[in-house]
Amino acid sequence: MKKSAWKRITWWRYAFLAFCFLIIAVNPFLNYHWDINFVQGWFQSIGIGNLWVVSPLEGLESILTAKFFYMPSLVGMVVPVVVALLMGRVFCSWMCPIEFLSVVTDKFLGIFSKKLKYRKDLISLPHKILWFALTTELLLTMVIGYPMFVWWSPPGLVGREIMFYAFYKVITVEVWIVVVVLSLNLFTRRFFCRYFCPLGALLALIGKKRQLVIKYLPDKCINCKVCDTRCPMGIKPSIGESQTVYCWNCAECVDACPTKALKFIWRDDGVIRLKLHNELTTSSTAGKFSSTG
Amino acid sequence: MEKKERTTNRREFLKVTLGAFIGGTLFSCSLSDLKNPKTMVKTPIRTNILRPPGAVPEEHFAQKCIRCGRCGEVCPYHCIKYFDVLSGGVFSGTPYIDVMEVPCYLCMKCVHVCPTGSLVPCAKEEVRMGVAVINRQVCVTWQQNKTGLMCKTCFNVCPFSGIAIKIDHDFRPYIVEENCTGCGICAYSCIADQYPDNNGQKAIRIEPIKWKKIKEIKLEDIKKS
Repeated sequence: MKKSAWKRITWWRYAFLAFCFLIIAVNPFLNYHWDINFVQGWFQSIGIGNLWVVSPLEGLESILTAKFFYMPSLVGMVVPVVVALLMGRVFCSWMCPIEFLSVVTDKFLGIFSKKLKYRKDLISLPHKILWFALTTELLLTMVIGYPMFVWWSPPGLVGREIMFYAFYKVITVEVWIVVVVLSLNLFTRRFFCRYFCPLGALLALIGKKRQLVIKYLPDKCINCKVCDTRCPMGIKPSIGESQTVYCWNCAECVDACPTKALKFIWRDDGVIRLKLHNELTTSSTAGKFSSTG
Repeated sequence: MEKKERTTNRREFLKVTLGAFIGGTLFSCSLSDLKNPKTMVKTPIRTNILRPPGAVPEEHFAQKCIRCGRCGEVCPYHCIKYFDVLSGGVFSGTPYIDVMEVPCYLCMKCVHVCPTGSLVPCAKEEVRMGVAVINRQVCVTWQQNKTGLMCKTCFNVCPFSGIAIKIDHDFRPYIVEENCTGCGICAYSCIADQYPDNNGQKAIRIEPIKWKKIKEIKLEDIKKS
């Protein structure tokens, strides 16, 4: 049974991805030809009117290398950090232009054959490499003394190339980084996002105790493993991995599941309630042995 | 036993990676550069290529800037350009102004959108992007005995004319370095390159200096940089 289009979360995700991509794709042309400066920049730092949004990793690198706290950039980091705290890596799956381009290439390949669309992952590495990438990135930044991720971050480069094209009618050599990242998708879906994106690692770290998770209901599951094959991040929701740090809340598995065994929930035993709950249960069970607290 | 083998393998792998990294870093920069870490990464800033208004000193600029490109997008004259990886290396994505293409008209829009404080908000007259230097061998007015011309273009176009550029008793322009913002409008509009003897040379060029407060600028700083 297939849900109607507007009920599928994935379609909403595609729409939002396209909307976010349009903002950074159309905006340089608006700026250049009609001087509409309301929105400036791309996902390294985007300014909408007086609202500044600064990407957390780029801001962190800037602080680490310059050893200087600049209040506006800290304030700009509040919005993405709060979003990541509540919903985890939703930037990666719902906004990142690289994800948009990956989806477009996936759909484009899907025209030719179904095998290409739902292809298997040829290389699968342990997910922990993500943390290695983040620490390497930060260490390298501090050793060299110049922020690294700010000039080769693929999501930023997409915006920068579009802006370069709009303003100076050139496309720089850095566009090959984007091309390489996209072509790595042929071996393994979202290969870079899964294992090597430091920004994704930082967002995952912030969203470790996120509120929005995909809940797995084992009693509804019929063990068809459709969700495992569909998950672009290569994690297995069928064994409850959807609540780990590596899940990026893209809802592919939610839509793919034929029995609705997976669903988005706002974790009702959230951080605060979880603590309370734990205290209550531990005190009630431990109360028999000791009467502390 | 098997577990022990695995750990030694990992250790070797880490050793090799670290060694390759350090070796590569050492190999890529010569020994004389290593003594002074600041010279390991050379700045692409040259004569006439300047940072936007309010930029922090050059040694901090590329560290603070997160290459978001907002300064270039708000610039109404499109005078802010960006280095790419071929011309700038690690500086790629940082903004600069090529005054010979389009000079800065000091609208001060870019300093208000910079999210990381690479461009510090300041008043127009506090901007120190560089300093104008008149080449008196090329300037037609300074060579008025030879050329017979009296041009006051730089004086007329300067946004602080009479303060940054003054005219002496022989109507020759001279720069007051303490007041020059380095916007480059004078260099852009200098007409000395039209004079046949000059071979297309402009009489004014902008030399980059370190961004300092108006009172802290000394002539030595300008000459050094």
